Amino acid sequence: MPIHEKSLIRPENLETHDALVIDGVDVSGHWSTFIKTRVVSDYNETLQDEIAALPGGEYIHRCWQCGSCTNACTVNEVNPDFNPRYWIYLIRMGMESELLRDKDIVWQCVSCNKCTYACPRDVFPEGVMKATAHWLERKGHTPKSPSTIFDEVFTEQVVATGKIEESRTIRRFFARTKQKLLQDWMIEMVRRMLSGLPIGMLTRMGLATFVAPRTSNWSAASAAIQEYIDEEHEKQTQALSLAELVETAKNDVAA
Amino acid sequence: MTTKDKYKKVAYYPGCALEGSGHSYNRSTKAVGKALGLDLVEVKNWNCCGAMEVKNIDPKIQTYLSSRVMSVAANEMDMDVVMAPCNGCYHNLKKAEYDLKNDKESAEVVDRLSQKAGHKTYESGQVETIHALDWIKDTIGEEGLAARVKNSLSGLKIANYYGCMYTRPRHIFPEKDAGPGSESTSKPHFMDDLLAAAGAENVDFPLKTACCGGAHTLSDSDISTKLVLNILKTAKLAGADVIATECPTCHSGLEMHQIRAEKTLGEKVDIKILYFTQLLGMALGLKARKVGVHENISDSIRFLKEKGLG
Repeated sequence: MPIHEKSLIRPENLETHDALVIDGVDVSGHWSTFIKTRVVSDYNETLQDEIAALPGGEYIHRCWQCGSCTNACTVNEVNPDFNPRYWIYLIRMGMESELLRDKDIVWQCVSCNKCTYACPRDVFPEGVMKATAHWLERKGHTPKSPSTIFDEVFTEQVVATGKIEESRTIRRFFARTKQKLLQDWMIEMVRRMLSGLPIGMLTRMGLATFVAPRTSNWSAASAAIQEYIDEEHEKQTQALSLAELVETAKNDVAA
Repeated sequence: MTTKDKYKKVAYYPGCALEGSGHSYNRSTKAVGKALGLDLVEVKNWNCCGAMEVKNIDPKIQTYLSSRVMSVAANEMDMDVVMAPCNGCYHNLKKAEYDLKNDKESAEVVDRLSQKAGHKTYESGQVETIHALDWIKDTIGEEGLAARVKNSLSGLKIANYYGCMYTRPRHIFPEKDAGPGSESTSKPHFMDDLLAAAGAENVDFPLKTACCGGAHTLSDSDISTKLVLNILKTAKLAGADVIATECPTCHSGLEMHQIRAEKTLGEKVDIKILYFTQLLGMALGLKARKVGVHENISDSIRFLKEKGLG
């Protein structure tokens, strides 16, 4: 059965009858369950191109659906709905509405690259997962995932100072995702971390939280990186026709 | 010059994690280098390699960040080998090297950013990036190490955990899977070899290259805790007392989620987590404090004392 047709046998597409007469023949007890006829017409023919326009998605067209990625996948083992092979199929077929059913879990790819290792076609499925997660966010289908927020907090710090000071990144991430920093396990971890540490070490760590480590003479690099990020962001905005999307939304609101 | 001589003096790139949560890895790497008579010259005014996050904002920025580190080593320090103990740094420098060699567009972006930033553009091939495992294995080797052991690790049962970024994706590591003596991407063994030479008993551990969920350690903690718990339990079932690590993200992920599993799932797995450099350092006769065992979250001081180490 072609893969996408598994969507036809979801509960909402099944009809079950206790008693059934077809063409004058009572078939009750023989056949009671039918799949509703469904013609797929809501193809998004630009979907594959849009994913390919985002970093990581470039090689999605190479996929021949062997399923090695899903077979090797770390997250699939924890959550069987996490299925890179299936999503790549849906994107290549332009079946956007079917893809959107899984929109809230695509970002959970942990970038272990087991899929990339297993892929015989150099699709780089890990990159495709990232591109798909970003596509969902930029198109407004999902809010920014905690992973994206972490990436942003992290990158902002690297661009600004050249280096990362972990406690600062963690505090900013928890603040931006509106989570409580002092969770039970976090307190326990800090407690165990501090026991046995000499005063000198604690002072050094304490200082790092006030005076961020930085790369010297970084400002020119910082400006060049930010300029490049902004340019690429603009190119992606155009590739995804986001301006038109906003325009359509405005018109809808006005109407 | 043989590999051995070439690696005796290398540019040392500790990276951000080794100045924070992975400080004990930094301390123990330097201590082991000193004990073995190897020379580490820290990369001047280094910057972050991009870790696992920057590539998700833009992969070419990650390539630039990593290339700048290599540019400093090659052009400002005249070094031809960069040694990075952190799997993330090691992986990113390797990836940058691959991209700059094979992808014209990446090379153009790196050139443009390097010019604007005011430093020489890194050209692929100027430096060779190696991991701390290559560094010790190729300079000292198993025999040399065995001859220098003062406190054998005998009696320690170790599960060697390499994580994701040391072997995947394989195309950025052309020297691996390259015949006898080379590292394997499916069943890595360099850490096993070194610890065995120091007297340890390595257990048969099937999750050497499993993922600890490090990339989402804070943004998707529940999955990370499940993945880590699986690693800890499997190591324990394989008969290990200790998990040896060679990556600060894996190491702190294991320590952090060992506690989180205990606190949120009520699952306690009693297994010690130590950097391979800490174990080697103690085998070479260094005190536990010298290799930063007190800086680890997982407390293994008493356990090590019982085994006559540190």
